[in-house]
Amino acid sequence: MNEIFTNLYNKVIGFFRQTEKQETSAKDVACNRLRVVLMQDRTNLTPELMERMRKELVELLSKYVEMDKEALELNLEQDGDQVALMLSIPVIRAKDEEEIQKALQESEEEKEKSEEEDSSEKETSETVDSEENNANKDSEKEESPQEKETDAKEENPSEDKK
Amino acid sequence: MLSYPQKILDSLNKINYTTNIKGETMSGRVIVITSGKGGVGKTTTNANIGTALARAGKKVVMIDTDLGLRNLDLLLGLENRIVYTIVDVVEERCKLKQALVKDKKNPNLCLLAAAQTRDKSAVTEEQLKDICETLKKDFDFILVDCPAGIEQGFQNAVAGASEAIVVTTPEMSAVRDADRIIGLLEAKEEIKSYKLLLNRVRPNLVKTNDMMSVDDVVEILSADLIGIIPEDTGIITSTNKGEPIVNDDKSLAGKAYRNVARRIIGEDVPFLNLEEDTSVMGKVKKFFSGLMGKEK
Ligand SMILES: Nc1ncnc2c1ncn2[C@@H]1O[C@H](COP(=O)(O)OP(=O)(O)O)[C@@H](O)[C@H]1O
Ligand SMILES: [Mg+2]
Repeated sequence: MNEIFTNLYNKVIGFFRQTEKQETSAKDVACNRLRVVLMQDRTNLTPELMERMRKELVELLSKYVEMDKEALELNLEQDGDQVALMLSIPVIRAKDEEEIQKALQESEEEKEKSEEEDSSEKETSETVDSEENNANKDSEKEESPQEKETDAKEENPSEDKK
Repeated sequence: MLSYPQKILDSLNKINYTTNIKGETMSGRVIVITSGKGGVGKTTTNANIGTALARAGKKVVMIDTDLGLRNLDLLLGLENRIVYTIVDVVEERCKLKQALVKDKKNPNLCLLAAAQTRDKSAVTEEQLKDICETLKKDFDFILVDCPAGIEQGFQNAVAGASEAIVVTTPEMSAVRDADRIIGLLEAKEEIKSYKLLLNRVRPNLVKTNDMMSVDDVVEILSADLIGIIPEDTGIITSTNKGEPIVNDDKSLAGKAYRNVARRIIGEDVPFLNLEEDTSVMGKVKKFFSGLMGKEK
C-alpha cells in the first residue's frame, strides 16, 4: 500500500521536475536574443563591424605583445545601464623593447606610405565622391529633418556608415 | 476591497486644483504616451490613466495626435460628440476651448480629438507645443496619445511633453522598439523623465517560462516601472462599450491602471503581484514542493 503511494508520488514529482527543466526555454532564449540585438541597436555595431573592429585591434595590439590572434575576444556586454566593450586578449609572450620599437617603426613607415597613396588617390576619387553625395542627398530628402537630427546625436555616428 | 483608494479619491476631490494658493494660473504636466510598436496599448493606457486621474479629482485633457487613425474617442465613447478636431484648431476654424469635448461622466475630463481625414503633416511640432502650453494653464494633466513609429507623428506628439510613459508588452519586438524609443527620448532635452508601463502581462505564461517576466523586461531596458497591466479580456468589452476599464471596480486591469494614476500623482503604491501562481497547477506544485522540503 505504502509502496503504491511512494510510486505515485515519485511519478508526480518526476512530471513536475520535467516541466521545470524547460527553464532554459522560450523566456531565456527571448531574453538572450534581445540582449544581443539591443546592444547592436544601441551602438550601431553590426556583427560585421564587430569582426572588423576585432581584426583592427589584433593588428594594433600585436605591435606590443605577441598574442593568439584567433583567440582575441571582443564582446559587447551590458553593465548596469551602460554598454561595455569587453576585450579579452590571450597573451602568448611579452615582446622585448627592440621588437616593440621595430614593430612601431614598421607601422610608421606603412602609415606614411599609405598617406602618400591617399593624397594621390584623392584627386581621382573626388569626382566620384561628390556624385555619391548627391545621390545620398536625394534619398535622404524623404527622411524627416528631425530624424536626421536625432541620428546625429546618437553616440557613435560611425564613419563606417558611409 | 477598494475602500482605501476611494477615501483618497474623495479627499482629493475636495482640493481646489484649478488655481494654486496664490491664485496664479496653474502649470499642468504634459505626459506623452508612446511605444514605437503599434497595438501594444498606448490608446488604452491613455484612456484609462486619463479617466483615473479625472476620477481622482484632477483636471485632465487628452490629446489624440494619431491623425488619420483616431481611436481615443472610441475608447471613451465620445465619437458622436466630436465637432472640431486638433486640425480645426491649428487651421483656426475654431478656438481651442471649443474643440475640447467633455467626458460623459466626468466633467474633469476632456478630449482634443485627432482629425480622421488628414495625414500626420497637418499639425507641426511647434503647433502642438503651443497647444500644450496653452492647455497647461487650465489643466493638471495633458496626456498626449502618440501614434506608432518613430517618424514625424512621434516627433509631434513628444514636442510639447516633459514626461513620457513608454508602453510595451513582454514580447521581443515590442521591447526592442521600446528600447529605440527610450534612446530617442533620452536625446530630447525637454523630456525630463520617462517611465515604463508593461502591458498584457500573462502570469501563466510567465510562470511556465514561456514569456519574459516583468523583471526581465525591466532589467533589459533598465528603466523605471510605473505600472504592470495584466492581459484582460475585460479591456476588449470595455472598449466595445466605450467605457474605460478603470470605471469597473472589480477588474484587475482596472485596478492596475488606477494604481498607475496614483503613482503619477506621487503616491507610493506597491505593484500588484500578478505573477503569484493562483492556478490549480500552481497550488498543486506548491503542495508537493512543501512535502519535499525546500525544492527549487
Ligand atoms: N491589457 C490588455 N488586455 C487585453 N487586451 C488589450 C490590453 N491592452 C490592449 N489591449 C487590446 O490591444 C489592442 C490595441 O490596443 P491600443 O490601445 O489601441 O494600442 P495602440 O494605441 O498602442 O495601438 C486593442 O484591441 C486593445 O483592446
Ligand atoms: Mg493608438
